[in-house]
Amino acid sequence: MLQVRDGAGETLGVLFERYHAPLYNFYTKLTGDRALSEDLVQEVFLRILRHRQTFRDGTPFRAWIYQIARNARIDHFRKSRPQVPFETEMAPAVLPGDPAQQQQESELLHRAMMELPEDKRELLVLCRFQELPYEDVARLVGCGVATVKVRIHRAMQELRQIFHELQAAPANSTQRAAAQGFPPRRMT
Amino acid sequence: MKCEQIAEVLPDYLQQGLQGEQKKTVEQHLESCVECSEVAGLWKKLALIPDEQPSPAGRARFDAMLQAYQAGQGSEVVTRLASDKRASIWNVIQWLRSPVGAVAWSIALVALGTYLGLQLGNPKANSQDLAAMHTELTNMRQMVALSMLQQQSASQRLEGVTWTRREEHLDPQVLSALMHTLRYDQSVDVRLAALDALSRHAGQPQVKKTVVDALQEQQSPLVQVALIDQLVEWRDVEAASGLEKLRQSPNLNPTVRQRADWAISKLN
Repeated sequence: MLQVRDGAGETLGVLFERYHAPLYNFYTKLTGDRALSEDLVQEVFLRILRHRQTFRDGTPFRAWIYQIARNARIDHFRKSRPQVPFETEMAPAVLPGDPAQQQQESELLHRAMMELPEDKRELLVLCRFQELPYEDVARLVGCGVATVKVRIHRAMQELRQIFHELQAAPANSTQRAAAQGFPPRRMT
Repeated sequence: MKCEQIAEVLPDYLQQGLQGEQKKTVEQHLESCVECSEVAGLWKKLALIPDEQPSPAGRARFDAMLQAYQAGQGSEVVTRLASDKRASIWNVIQWLRSPVGAVAWSIALVALGTYLGLQLGNPKANSQDLAAMHTELTNMRQMVALSMLQQQSASQRLEGVTWTRREEHLDPQVLSALMHTLRYDQSVDVRLAALDALSRHAGQPQVKKTVVDALQEQQSPLVQVALIDQLVEWRDVEAASGLEKLRQSPNLNPTVRQRADWAISKLN
């Protein structure tokens, strides 16, 4: 990143190779919209180019890039509220040899995640899927590490509750999600 | 251990950040508590949601974006060089405005004055040196004027306008600052002084245009009358249409309208 900051634009290609898939997954799990996720990933790398001078030696790069990613998403939704309906195609892909129950659970988990409030979903995506340390997440969202842990615990409890509801009536919840649009719940 | 206590360490356990005794305590609790056990189980199950693969077109888009950015940077460098130059002039002005800068240029002016006096007193003085000194002095005066025109205090800006009167030929930057002062300065006194200073530079085409433009912009009757008088003094026939436009504007002060009528009759 220091090379990118000092003007070696080609080095950005290496960063793209390393981070575009994780960033894409960060966005798809947050927004449920593949096309938008692709656009936002491009936006992140454009912002890195523009704001590379703000990168300070010693800053954890992953935290910095996710900060840019969060801002890009916030700016996007500030301009236009999400209108993308629940896409069944966004449900997890069927893996060969997956037992039917596992596949169903995977689908339900995905829907439960999408029904979580955005801020809680974002925390889970950062900590569980992007595997960012709590310290980095705390810096990203601007609170203490202990607060992040408490929020993670609450998010998991809420996810568990939604998951149970979906297990009880999966068909209804799909319709509800479809009717509400994506993401179904607002920030709390 | 109770659920409330577990809540503090469960996230660490989930991220496999617990060791030894603490880990064992959490595991014991999970064996006896269905709710916490489900949370831990759900955390593991989240791995069932597979990662998505971005489309290969993303790389092509990125390459195109990078190329476009780098191509644009070439022209940006030229712009940046120009802005750096502007910035360096601004830095000099800023420095001159600082107390240290003010003392420095005052000393420089005294030294320059003394040197000039000595040189003028010497019949063998080199005329080329004198010309260079004169240019330097002129530049310094203009820089001081420019700096003072940008001060917060109206009296200092007024002084800045006075500085511009000391020069016969104004630097384009100073002239531009003076025209800006005429149009946008908050103080009527400063605007009037700027008009007076500009009246000596009617030979510059943009000066007359600025005065005609200012005629439509100014709200103060005092400034409006002064502008009208100036245009009559210049015998600027082209200003007649501007005066006519002013005369027809609603809510115009009757005295200004009367003055505009008089000016139109004089110019025609």
